[in-house]
Amino acid sequence: MAIIEVDQLMKEFKVAKRETGFLGAMKSLVKREFYTKHAVKDVSFTVDKGEMVGYIGPNGAGKSTTIKMLTGILVPSGGTVKVNGIVPYENRQANAKNIGVVFGQRTQLWWDLPTIESFELLKEIYQVSHSRYKENMDTFTEILGLDEFINTPVRQLSLGQRMRADIAASLLHDPPILFLDEPTIGLDVVAKERMRTFIKEINKERDITVILTTHDMEDIEQLCKRMVLIDHGQKVYDGEMAVVKNRFGKIRTLVVDLEQHSKPLTLEKAEVFKEEAGKYWIRFNREDISASGVITQITQTHNIKDLTVEEPEIESIISRIYQEGFDGVEQPIPVKSGS
Amino acid sequence: MRYIDLYFKLVAAGIRAQLQYRFAFFMRIVGMLTSYAGTAITMWVMLYQFQELGTWNFYEMLFLFAIAVLSWGFCIILFFHFRSLDTYILNGTFDRFLVRPINPFFHFMAMKFDVASFGQFIFSIFIFIWVSVELHIHWTIANVLFLLAAVIGGVLIQGGLLVIISAFAFWTTKSEQFYWVVMYPARNLTNYPLVIYPKMVQWFTAFVVPFGFVNYFPASVILGKETPYFPENIGYFSPLVGIVFFIIAYYIWMLGLSRYKSTGS
Amino acid sequence: MFNYRLYWTFAKKSFLRSAVYRFDVWSRLGSNVIFLLMWGSIWTALYAGREEAGGVSFQAMLTYIVVSQFLSGVNGAGTPLWEIQEKVRTGDISLELMRPFDVPLRYLFADFGSVFFYMITALLPLYIILFFFMDLSLPNDPLIWLAFSFAAFIGFLIRYCIEMAFGLLTFFLVETGGVEDIFYFAMSLLSGSVIPLWFFPGWLASFASYLPFQGIYYIPNAIFIGEIAGYQILTSIGVQLFWVVVTYIFLRLVWNKASQKVVVQGG
Repeated sequence: MAIIEVDQLMKEFKVAKRETGFLGAMKSLVKREFYTKHAVKDVSFTVDKGEMVGYIGPNGAGKSTTIKMLTGILVPSGGTVKVNGIVPYENRQANAKNIGVVFGQRTQLWWDLPTIESFELLKEIYQVSHSRYKENMDTFTEILGLDEFINTPVRQLSLGQRMRADIAASLLHDPPILFLDEPTIGLDVVAKERMRTFIKEINKERDITVILTTHDMEDIEQLCKRMVLIDHGQKVYDGEMAVVKNRFGKIRTLVVDLEQHSKPLTLEKAEVFKEEAGKYWIRFNREDISASGVITQITQTHNIKDLTVEEPEIESIISRIYQEGFDGVEQPIPVKSGS
Repeated sequence: MRYIDLYFKLVAAGIRAQLQYRFAFFMRIVGMLTSYAGTAITMWVMLYQFQELGTWNFYEMLFLFAIAVLSWGFCIILFFHFRSLDTYILNGTFDRFLVRPINPFFHFMAMKFDVASFGQFIFSIFIFIWVSVELHIHWTIANVLFLLAAVIGGVLIQGGLLVIISAFAFWTTKSEQFYWVVMYPARNLTNYPLVIYPKMVQWFTAFVVPFGFVNYFPASVILGKETPYFPENIGYFSPLVGIVFFIIAYYIWMLGLSRYKSTGS
Repeated sequence: MFNYRLYWTFAKKSFLRSAVYRFDVWSRLGSNVIFLLMWGSIWTALYAGREEAGGVSFQAMLTYIVVSQFLSGVNGAGTPLWEIQEKVRTGDISLELMRPFDVPLRYLFADFGSVFFYMITALLPLYIILFFFMDLSLPNDPLIWLAFSFAAFIGFLIRYCIEMAFGLLTFFLVETGGVEDIFYFAMSLLSGSVIPLWFFPGWLASFASYLPFQGIYYIPNAIFIGEIAGYQILTSIGVQLFWVVVTYIFLRLVWNKASQKVVVQGG
């Protein structure tokens, strides 16, 4: 049963042009020119109850614009949205009771007050019954360890603590749908792991539908069975995470620092695509050859000073799918250097 | 009823948050007292040689000023944070008011409750007492009630203007600047009796942005001053003007909000 | 040692930057006009039809106010106090300590750029029109114009030094609420920007004459309308020069203390 239905969703913005130079500066004093930006173009998908979907795309792809339309903050320029049977922008307040929202970079808690007070205020705002509030608080305290900082003002919390508090706050009123915008951004490895475990747990035990945007490959791999990829406002892929991973996640990049580089580096089943001051970036497909196979080839002719193996970033997977289409011929994925 | 209960809970939280910064709180009161005293001193210096400003003497001007300060004090408590709506919009924190199941205007209004207006209350009450003695004002119950009603009207008018200014942020992503361009000069203008300004300006402050009803018209009623170009005792309309103006302001804000929802910026 | 090219670049950059913030230009001009209206009306009402008061004609007094509003437009286009305070709080100024330039001078030249932009695009057009349409008394002698311009420039420097120094006090204070208000009060009353010193009660006038604020508005305004004339112009400018040196030394002291604090305690 579909709990979220998005059909041919569109959003256009008018954006002012920036003038440059002295004359441009004088001109912009009086008049400004605008162009239309298509933030979301013709996006359709449905999400079933209890699903956990990764909504993925590079910065500026239209992710948060879509989330804003799903939460009722923005009115679409075209197409339809239904969340739990409600059109969010027509009935924002009713929709608000059905959803929990966490923005990773911005807290929804009262900055200067002890954390517990935010929970108490949200209880009033969402009219949560006393017994339900107590039950939820007990559960969240147990799983998220809220008690270690419940009396500390929000501004003094660590980022990890704040995120835990934020996610608990978003679930106080038992929403059937949860929107998580970059829930692990800026967290350390331990905190990220804890967050993921919690998200998995509430998805399973409470049957909460989760829509998640993230930049973190790990997040997607661990949390989302299904992913919707968008780029330049358009949907480029919608399907199983595993398929994308199989198709594109097999490419690895080996970066080696070689001692002496007078001899050319020739390799089989791998390709040098960048070279800089004795450093070589080598691409290979994990299925054709293992990393140690490539390394063995190199050591036959060169001495390796240092090496690292890089996994493809979500951005590069997306740009590839976008460029070639999902059924395109497999080619090595360009990997950004220095990461 | 639910909103009233919720308002007090939100406001109580706001006060607790503010009292975390006691020293800042104290210094703001000192600052406000200094700046109001500064304006009063400027008035005194101005009238040292001239005695009268458009038939208003120093004490009458102080009285006029004190009414403005008192209603502005309440206005700061309830609405002052509206001016920085642009910051909330720019850094994205405004969205949190839109993912909650309550009226966003109400939620935004209840978010802050600036109790640092003690400065205004101390100052204006001191001036009222001082001026009453100097001018031998007879305080009857009717007088006091009228003054209170006028102050409520003044709060609604100035609050309404703050609300309208904040609504500009929905269209232009700016509001704080509008405050400094429109409201700050307008408030300064009304510290002096409107009778000294060109007719156009007086007309404007009576019927367009009704700042005249904040202090000039009510003070004229209490002090028995003439208000040329305007009917006598027009000041009695202050509360009504306040209510109407605030309702208009509210609708402008809601209109801006719907515009925000279609542009997101 | 003085690197003209570098500081010239700061001025140029901030000139161009001002143009981007077109709203600032219009808004500042708008509030400048409202305050001009206010003080013009106040002085019209104070004179109440009299030709002259305290030996100064109404026309001269009105000119004084118009010139004063023009100068306050000029002074207001520089980096305002709250912005300096903000930059101290956010650590922007501390970061600039690492750069190979003198920070107070860098801000002064940046101010030159933005003030110049605001002057040619907004202030001068408006005030030239005002001088045409209003019945004001303009000096006939080009030397007076010259003296006025010079005095106004020195006044700008005095204001800059005081405002910057007050702003930098944020390094040492936890809360700046009271400081700001004292600064603005002194700036508006004791500088003679809205009431000329000759209308002050005697004791207050002599108090103000021992302070640097008179150099910002009172002296240039009074030179313009001829209340300060003849050799008095020279002594008045001398007083201004004295204060610009003193306030500059004050600014340097505050700045050195502040930068020491940043270096030792990391801001």
